[in-house]
Amino acid sequence: MEFLPLTEPVLLILLSLAQQPRHGYSILKDVEHMSDGRVMLSTGTLYGALRRLLDEEWIEPFKEQESSRGRQAYRLTARGRRNLQFEVGRMKHLTRLANLRIAAKEA
Amino acid sequence: MSAGSMFGLILYRHALRLYPAFHRERFGEEMIAVFRELQAESATKGLFPRSWWCIREIAGVLAGALQEHWHAAGGDSVWLWFPTRRLTMHNEFRFPKTTAILMTIILAGVVMTIQRGEAIQQSLPYTNPPVAPIHPAHSTLLPGIVFGLVFFYAAGLVGWAILFAMRRSGVA
Repeated sequence: MEFLPLTEPVLLILLSLAQQPRHGYSILKDVEHMSDGRVMLSTGTLYGALRRLLDEEWIEPFKEQESSRGRQAYRLTARGRRNLQFEVGRMKHLTRLANLRIAAKEA
Repeated sequence: MSAGSMFGLILYRHALRLYPAFHRERFGEEMIAVFRELQAESATKGLFPRSWWCIREIAGVLAGALQEHWHAAGGDSVWLWFPTRRLTMHNEFRFPKTTAILMTIILAGVVMTIQRGEAIQQSLPYTNPPVAPIHPAHSTLLPGIVFGLVFFYAAGLVGWAILFAMRRSGVA
């Protein structure tokens, strides 16, 4: 798993696609929404990340029934979902550990 | 579409030319479509958010183009020389086979030249006969340097012209 640990933009892109297949604009808006406007990706950053994720087969193009020109949707592959779950598990472990340490210090 | 939006779109299309050809072919249409949607959305906002969005888009395209050129040049494989996570080869490794062959040939050539030089050195007598001072009839150094510079400049120009033609035609 070459990308791990994931950067925040990549993690948010994967989380956006975990819910449903999305095209570029929809991903950008969802990432913005999930981060409360803190992470606002440019098209250059988004398509750089999508290219890498496609090359690593974490995501794949998804054929929509009604797709206009220039609107390609993407979805998470089984590999991508597995890696995302692994990363979320790692973050959960870190959060639990951090909470324990902070609580121990406060007590 | 307003004149400003049209200008922005034209500028964006031109900026996309900074990307490698394969990236433009793969994502160019999509990126333009997304840019147009974002542009339509930003048109309803004030001057400051619109300017900030514009700066972010241009910076993103420039950074993305640099990154893709780095990737196309096999830049990602550089990390294999300084592995930080694992020592396995991955599918981003794109070291050209022809380069490896060329480097082997050059190395063999260098080794052979050194061996040949040593053989010549050993075959020569240790003491050289005394030679009177040589006075050149005319200087050959300056014309040689000028000729060399002109030659390499012309070669560079031809190389650049070929690369430019290839890029324009979408080959490279």
